[in-house]
Amino acid sequence: MLRFALRRCGWTLVQLTALSVIIFLLTNLLPGDAATVDFNEQAGLDQVAQLRKQMGLDRPLAERFADWAHGLLTGDLGTSLVGGGAVSEVLSSSVPVTAALAAVTIVLLVPLAVAVGLLTGLRAGSRTDRVVSAVTLTLTSVPDFVLALLLVSVFALRLGWLPSTWVGADEGWWQRPELFVLPVAVLLARTVCVLSRQIRAGTVTALHAGYTVQARRLGVPPTRLVLRHVLPNAAVPGIQELARTGDQLLGGVLVVEAVFAIPGTATALVEAVQNRDVPTVQALTLALAAVACLLNLAADLVSQRLAPRSEVLR
Amino acid sequence: MPVTPTRRSVLTVAAAAGAGLLTGCSSADSGSSSPKKGGTLRAAFPGAGVKETMDPHAQRQFVDIARHKAVFDKLVELDSTLRPVPRLARSWSSDDDARVWRFELREARFHDGHVLDADDVLYSISRILDPDAADHLAKNSLSHIDLSNCRKVGRRGVEIALTRPNAELPSQLAMTGTPIVRDGWDDPKKPVGTGPFRFVSFTAGRGFTGRRFDDHWNGAPHLDEVRILSAETEARAAAVRSGEVHFAHEMTPTFARTVEHNSRVRVVATRRSGVQGFALKTDRAPFDDPDAAMAVKLLVDRERLVEVVCAGRAEIGNDVYGKGYTYYPEGLAQRERDVPEARRLLKRTGLYNKKVTFYTSTAADGFAQAAHLFTDQAGEAGLKVEVVNGPPESYFTDVLGKGTVTNHRCGAMTIPTYISERLLADAPQNATAWKHQDFDDAFTAARAVVDDDKRTERYRSVQTTLRDQGGLVLWGHPEWLNAISHTVQGVKEAPPNTVDWARFDTVWLD
Amino acid sequence: MSAGGRTRHTAGGALLLLLPVTAAVVGPLVTDADIPSDGMPYALGAGHPLGTDALGRDVLALVLRGGASALGVACAAVALAVAIGATLGLAAAASRSRWLDDLLIRPVELLLPLPSLLVISVVGVGWRGHPVAVALAVAALNVPAVARLLRAAALDAASGPVAEAMRLQGESSARVLFGHVGRAVLPVAAADAGTRVGGAVFTVAAANFLGLGLDPTSPDWGVMIAASREALFVQPWAVLAPTLMLVMFTVGVNLLADGLLPRAGRTGGKAMAWNR
Repeated sequence: MLRFALRRCGWTLVQLTALSVIIFLLTNLLPGDAATVDFNEQAGLDQVAQLRKQMGLDRPLAERFADWAHGLLTGDLGTSLVGGGAVSEVLSSSVPVTAALAAVTIVLLVPLAVAVGLLTGLRAGSRTDRVVSAVTLTLTSVPDFVLALLLVSVFALRLGWLPSTWVGADEGWWQRPELFVLPVAVLLARTVCVLSRQIRAGTVTALHAGYTVQARRLGVPPTRLVLRHVLPNAAVPGIQELARTGDQLLGGVLVVEAVFAIPGTATALVEAVQNRDVPTVQALTLALAAVACLLNLAADLVSQRLAPRSEVLR
Repeated sequence: MPVTPTRRSVLTVAAAAGAGLLTGCSSADSGSSSPKKGGTLRAAFPGAGVKETMDPHAQRQFVDIARHKAVFDKLVELDSTLRPVPRLARSWSSDDDARVWRFELREARFHDGHVLDADDVLYSISRILDPDAADHLAKNSLSHIDLSNCRKVGRRGVEIALTRPNAELPSQLAMTGTPIVRDGWDDPKKPVGTGPFRFVSFTAGRGFTGRRFDDHWNGAPHLDEVRILSAETEARAAAVRSGEVHFAHEMTPTFARTVEHNSRVRVVATRRSGVQGFALKTDRAPFDDPDAAMAVKLLVDRERLVEVVCAGRAEIGNDVYGKGYTYYPEGLAQRERDVPEARRLLKRTGLYNKKVTFYTSTAADGFAQAAHLFTDQAGEAGLKVEVVNGPPESYFTDVLGKGTVTNHRCGAMTIPTYISERLLADAPQNATAWKHQDFDDAFTAARAVVDDDKRTERYRSVQTTLRDQGGLVLWGHPEWLNAISHTVQGVKEAPPNTVDWARFDTVWLD
Repeated sequence: MSAGGRTRHTAGGALLLLLPVTAAVVGPLVTDADIPSDGMPYALGAGHPLGTDALGRDVLALVLRGGASALGVACAAVALAVAIGATLGLAAAASRSRWLDDLLIRPVELLLPLPSLLVISVVGVGWRGHPVAVALAVAALNVPAVARLLRAAALDAASGPVAEAMRLQGESSARVLFGHVGRAVLPVAAADAGTRVGGAVFTVAAANFLGLGLDPTSPDWGVMIAASREALFVQPWAVLAPTLMLVMFTVGVNLLADGLLPRAGRTGGKAMAWNR
């Protein structure tokens, strides 16, 4: 177990290092640079050239990467090319918002998905199962931006029950739960459905597995059977899925942050890409990738613990 | 209202009444209800993320300018016909060849209690002109100020000397990036100005809060507090409809249609707020031939472009910038669509059935749509167009160098500024690559003429040359659409960058 | 799930797919490549059964024209992802040496935590309006998961009793690989591809929605939704028509994949459960 964990951690480090290079190259592939974008419609080419020099963008690619990597190793994320603030400031102002959004979503997601998954899985084929499965399947198939538009139109604009955006709510957003309702609803809709279908499938498989049949034959009471034998095994694919929903959730967050004007990580990342603000893009993506890696790591370790046979996942 | 009725406000009201007639919108100025004190107004502008700044000399985006307008004042502002009107400068005059200008300052108080004097003005100008500050954009147009020869005169006067004659100095002091700061001030984190609101807080890309400054020289604002927030188009639309903000800047014609029957939201439409058009590069084939450019001017269907791209909310353009602004040459016949003549010119210049490239992008609303329509219209006259999409973030910089046909737009600015920024050989934003020494000379000479009427006449000839020879196809003067909640009173129709635009000291909440 | 339910799923899925797929396939044949902008913007009626869009173009014609790119890009991307992923995954599974397996699968796994968000926005910003670039990006994002899944499914089948029996009978390893393992993996791959197509359609449409995709006048369902969304209350059909098509397509594909899944479950069920 320990060796497995250490190997997994080492691999995660390799992944992050490789990713930082890939990300740096990707952002440098973008047309134009921070200077061009910053002075768009504002100034002529001479001024753009002056700004480019001021930003240090006239230096060779390798030199800029070495600089950045050196800074990273010494704990310095660098300075944003636009605005001139520290990249860590961008990070510290945008990450908590997205983290809160994701945390609320996941806190609600897990029990909801388990409940729906067990409900349908234990009574596979029943009327409840058919109705709920139809609903989850349909919701999985509705694009999140469509859902977001619909919810805003109905609950914010038509009925006026909930705020339609986060505009002007930057201070004290964490004290206003109503801001979270619509964004979290959009984020939950798809993920709950995907995850609960995963758990349903796992439950059906586990119910028919040899050890369950045997346990039932031995007279293990149904509740204990479900909690001790079915659920842990049914949860493994679900946990793997949960880790992978991380990325999907981020895609959803991008849409949600755009529709509700939430000043989070996805908004900051898109803006940084548009500004060609390489240091900010680097820092944000690495942070996201690190979270994804850690989630996968955690998922693997938990699965290993729940069902030690899953060596196939390495 | 604390503003005394001067000639300027009479003009504004006249323009407002005209707009009301034309658009069927009720006039934005509700003179009947008397101003109420107090309350917090929330206004949403298109945001610029971390680019946003509280340094008034580095202002670029509307949201910056609106914020700075709350905290700072300029010496001069522009009225809705883009004529200079006094602000911190009570009055001004120049010597006979417009080389030395004298401004009389108002007794205005800074937020820290200090009373404005000539040193503040001289410091502000020197700060704008700082050669190391690439982002002080006004320094280009003010580069002819001879700092070493500027001086204070008497208790409240300041004399500005120029290296070349310029009759437009007052309106150039009203341009973007020219607010007056406190002598020695250099900390954008702690902005101190003479404006109607004291600085409270600011986070780039999110919002700004300002509190009423009771000692403002023009009278204290009605509002207790103003919040200027950043939000993208869709969020602004949703926020103003749901009442989360009171004022939303820069809305689309479709949004205006959406709230047509909504009693809680009103659209304030300002006519003639800039221009929409196409730019043809005149320094390369095929549009180095004025006949080829003329063919394009004749083949565009201006009515259709206005109808679709601006949803009818624009006046037809006549290839001259600044309809309704000071120095606009009145009495020119409207250029009409003439497909047979366009075809004749295309054939004469060898362009008939040839292909040109239209370099467009989504940099502004309607650009891609206009390019799409242009393709259809050019096709009808026998000119083939290939549309190429470029990245919007750097589009306006990119088109300075590349493209044969490109989109063009411009907000409200004075006609001389438009020409000097976009049409002189060394102009920074010369998107049509219009480089003609005789044109530059004629313009510079016109700008040096002190007599108003004579100057206007000289400008007219410069503009007609451009209309007939140049590469600008200006097909529409769109309305500027802002949305306000029904509780907001005292919002005036004003083109962006003019004195009554984004002005929250004369606004109140019911 | 009962066999009847499965058939119903498959039939329902096929039925839902009928309209969007027909529109995507037949639409481009019955409409002009250039849809004329001859109406008023966002108008209803006047010879336009579904009204007009921002440019005064007929929404019905746009819907007919817009499926090919919306579905085409996504399907091409998934096809590419499955082709590359299957090659890598099966080769890794077939390789007897651990280091070859590592060599093939590790680089792919490197990409796994790369936020799809970044890739899409970089591609969207960098190569705006190029469907090929978008398709390649979506494909690249899907390759790691496909490779992992198919490798696991193949290992599963290769270590099963059937393969064991074939090997004991002296069948060549090629026969075991292509005859048995390949056949066992196929339904897994098909069901997986089905769900991925739905996801890819989302990704492409979301990129267009965020302004990171095709140019805003091109006829494409995703672009139409994005471009007309502000007119939802003025001319709802301009938004609803393409949305319905997209949703019908994704629901249909998911139902179809769901119908295929249990059959896949018989052979590759475990791998499926681990890796989906």
